Amino acid sequence: MSCELHEKPRVGTIDPIFTCQPCGAQFASIGIKDCIGIVHGGQGCVMFVRLLISQHLKESFEIASSSVHEDGAVFGAVKRVEEAVDVLLMRYPAIKVIPIISTCSTEVIGDDIDGVVTKLNAGLLKEKYPNREVHLIPIHTPSFVGSMITGYDLAVKDFVEYFAKKSEPNNKINLITGWVNPGDVTALKHLLAEMQIDATVLFEIENFDSPLMPYGNFVSHGDTTIADLVDTANATGTIALNRYEGGKAAQYLENEFDVPCIIGPTPIGIRNTDTFLANLKKMTGKPIPESLVHERGIALDAIADVAHMFLADKKVAIYGNPDLVIGLAQFCLDLGMKPKLLLLGDDNASYPNDPRLKELQDNVADDMEIITNADLWELDKRLKEGTLELDLILGHSKGRFVSIDNNVPMVRVGFPTYDRAGLYRHPVVGYAGAIWLAEQMANTLFADMEYKHVREWSLNVW
Amino acid sequence: MPYHEFECSKCIPERKKHAVVKGPGETLADALPAGYLNTIPGSISERGCAYCGAKHVIGTPMKDVIHLSHGPVGCTYDTWQTKRYISDNDNFQLKHTFASDMKEKHVVFGAEKMLKQNIIEAFKAFPNMKRMSIYQTCASALIGDDIHAVAAEVMEEMPDVDIFVCNSPGFRGPSQSGGHHTICIAWFKEKVGTVEPKITSDYVINYVGEYNIQGDQHVMDDFFKRMGVQVLSTFTGNGSYDELRSMHRAHLNVLECARSSEYLCNELRVKYGIPRLDIDGFGFEPLSLSLRKVGLFFGIEDRAQKIIDEETARWKPELDWYKARLTGKKVCLWPGGSKLWHWAHVIHEEFGVEVVSVYTKFGHQGDMEKGISRVEEGALAIDDPNELEGMEALETLKPDIIFTGKRPGEVAKKVRVPYLNAHAYHNGPWKGFEGWVRFARDIYNGIFSPMHKLAFLDISKDEIPTDKGFETARMISDVNLSEEIRSSTTLREYTGKFDCVGEILKKTDYPNFEPEPVGAL
Repeated sequence: MSCELHEKPRVGTIDPIFTCQPCGAQFASIGIKDCIGIVHGGQGCVMFVRLLISQHLKESFEIASSSVHEDGAVFGAVKRVEEAVDVLLMRYPAIKVIPIISTCSTEVIGDDIDGVVTKLNAGLLKEKYPNREVHLIPIHTPSFVGSMITGYDLAVKDFVEYFAKKSEPNNKINLITGWVNPGDVTALKHLLAEMQIDATVLFEIENFDSPLMPYGNFVSHGDTTIADLVDTANATGTIALNRYEGGKAAQYLENEFDVPCIIGPTPIGIRNTDTFLANLKKMTGKPIPESLVHERGIALDAIADVAHMFLADKKVAIYGNPDLVIGLAQFCLDLGMKPKLLLLGDDNASYPNDPRLKELQDNVADDMEIITNADLWELDKRLKEGTLELDLILGHSKGRFVSIDNNVPMVRVGFPTYDRAGLYRHPVVGYAGAIWLAEQMANTLFADMEYKHVREWSLNVW
Repeated sequence: MPYHEFECSKCIPERKKHAVVKGPGETLADALPAGYLNTIPGSISERGCAYCGAKHVIGTPMKDVIHLSHGPVGCTYDTWQTKRYISDNDNFQLKHTFASDMKEKHVVFGAEKMLKQNIIEAFKAFPNMKRMSIYQTCASALIGDDIHAVAAEVMEEMPDVDIFVCNSPGFRGPSQSGGHHTICIAWFKEKVGTVEPKITSDYVINYVGEYNIQGDQHVMDDFFKRMGVQVLSTFTGNGSYDELRSMHRAHLNVLECARSSEYLCNELRVKYGIPRLDIDGFGFEPLSLSLRKVGLFFGIEDRAQKIIDEETARWKPELDWYKARLTGKKVCLWPGGSKLWHWAHVIHEEFGVEVVSVYTKFGHQGDMEKGISRVEEGALAIDDPNELEGMEALETLKPDIIFTGKRPGEVAKKVRVPYLNAHAYHNGPWKGFEGWVRFARDIYNGIFSPMHKLAFLDISKDEIPTDKGFETARMISDVNLSEEIRSSTTLREYTGKFDCVGEILKKTDYPNFEPEPVGAL
């Protein structure tokens, strides 16, 4: 009986859990208002990422490509960036922020995107757009380093580092959400409102659950403004909910501007939400109001209905974004469930030092495996070989066939969840998220009992 | 000049030659947009890359193959599970994807050794899979890994496996089309002629440029079987690797998507003298003509005609039910490449819709030539469209429905234009006679959705109609229909099942034709 942490024993990846860095930078960029990123590389690096994100959010949004073709790959393609910036600025008059996001191809050929930004600032922007506010921000996200998670982390830090400027204290806190859904942002803003805390939410993607309006032509966009980003240096403190998705930026603000930061925990489940509120209270001095005691009570009441009767002892595997996986594992343990396998889809060297993973290793008495640099085959293989028995899988849609083919029910959670309707609308964070997760897990198990005719009669008297 | 200048693109004058309006009396010489040129950076074009054109579009529909991309993980992940090419071997090609997972150290020191490890690992994980395709990506192309050499080494060590290598990095050419070309030529050069097939019929074809989207290939394969024609291979939907190595033994190449794979047919004609016959599985008339042409080539028109008669009798009343209700509806036909000319005229003739615009993301001028010659006068044709041009066109054309990709479909949704997925279909297959009715049904359900109609009501300003508890599509679509059509006893709505492919796959009762000398009448 032990909880073991190790790397996937194979060099290759079969059925990947993550895509690469540029996707993370692109996801961060759509959270900024008046921002269209230019991905410097082949066109697929944008076309497919836009498709992926739009499959998840069921929305469209804009990201451009420098469209590097063969000549650029041979002779260098910075010229394509210059042209792309000009074309974007001409055609999108509202655009102010243009991150230049590199990819594997343009990093390998050594295109100097920092140099081209300097050149454009001194040349094109001065000459052709003298009265226009334009920010060109190079973001280095070679695909052969890290994953979409590090790409997101890096981009958030680069945006903050570019804009943050010390002036007067603003008496707000910075809340860096990490890679979440519109529904999570709504839930987080609700908690902040109940606590009467004024916060700058980075990056604000709530509006990607956007309406179909009678006058038509509604384009989804992020709501984090330049002013928000500039002002991050003047906050009372920063809370980054996710260690690996925004932690870097929080740390930067502390190091550079003495804005104290608290990194984590991801407020998944009752306990982590309690901690989040405690952190908010500590940072702002604001009390936790009765309304949240009430809300927490509703969550506990709902969970009591399903936890010890249905969820307890259920064996679960979890894969996806690291903070999400860890948060879900912690919540599952609180629910009496047995996480058997956690899959973290990249090779981040700091995982073994993550105190939450250490806590799991020190305290989980059952057999549990945590695999880093993992792929979905690590899960699929164990199920097919019969070396792992599961009652439930928690993860994103790319693993849908693991669930389907092995007859293990699955709750879709994380990114992307394109094979279920509207999941981006539902939070997994906060007390609302705790209710949603516990009830989703229970209902998914119930449906499975009925399809498989296993103790389906037990629900008669529940 | 028939060129159409978009307001939003006035500042990039080179875009002007990429859009035309087909004016009255104008010939193709007047109205042909520039095509397949380099993309303008920053224009927010919808084009993909040559890696995806090779791996995702053409390579991966092959069903009994481990598809391994040599590069960082993103190329593999991003092109995984974003298409609906199914197969009759439990969809292995949809379920599993393989990335060599190139990291920084490999970029610096080379990745050939780890590629070899990767290949061995993948074969070990799936011991029943003995075939593999390896796709180069931008990163592995730029560091100069010799993938062929690695593959050859493994094949020597593991004699029961066979590996195909496709060197089509993402930056190769203006769009995914470059990848289609590359993989066709590579397959022809490396693999065709390396396996001898078992010939079971006097009439043997390769079915080329068919990707089995939602089961198209199963539908067409059924027709060929009913004609006693042996489909030696399908390139590549539901296609088998070894069958595709034996393409050289077919009597005829039946070509569906000429955009993506005419290259292969042309090579097969030059080297092996196999003629190419372009066909079209979409629409009653084009499909009937296609089956007749194949029949004519082999002297078995009667067999084709029998199928056409049966299928037409079964499905035409349903097609016409929809045509009566779709007539005059405006369509933007905005697919990737070949569907602009596959569909342009036939949706007009058989569904009654008006094609007000066609576009192509990666098509060449030849595709536009075919498409524009087939659309009605006044249609706006756009090459390599971009986000703003698409929006501008939707605003001015005000179509009733749009056939395009998933993400552009989200753009259309916001301006209250229902969308159908032109690449992956909604409730396909759309090939075959029944399939074509399914397409009509999907269009009907999109345009006449009562919810769609509600999206036009502004409850803050408009008079809110409070007299109805609900509406049905029929209540909306039949308002202006004649009594004759409304109460017709011959026309009927689609009567097929949710899944129309499962039955075909179970079918075994195909006619057993007596062998005849090849070409005999």
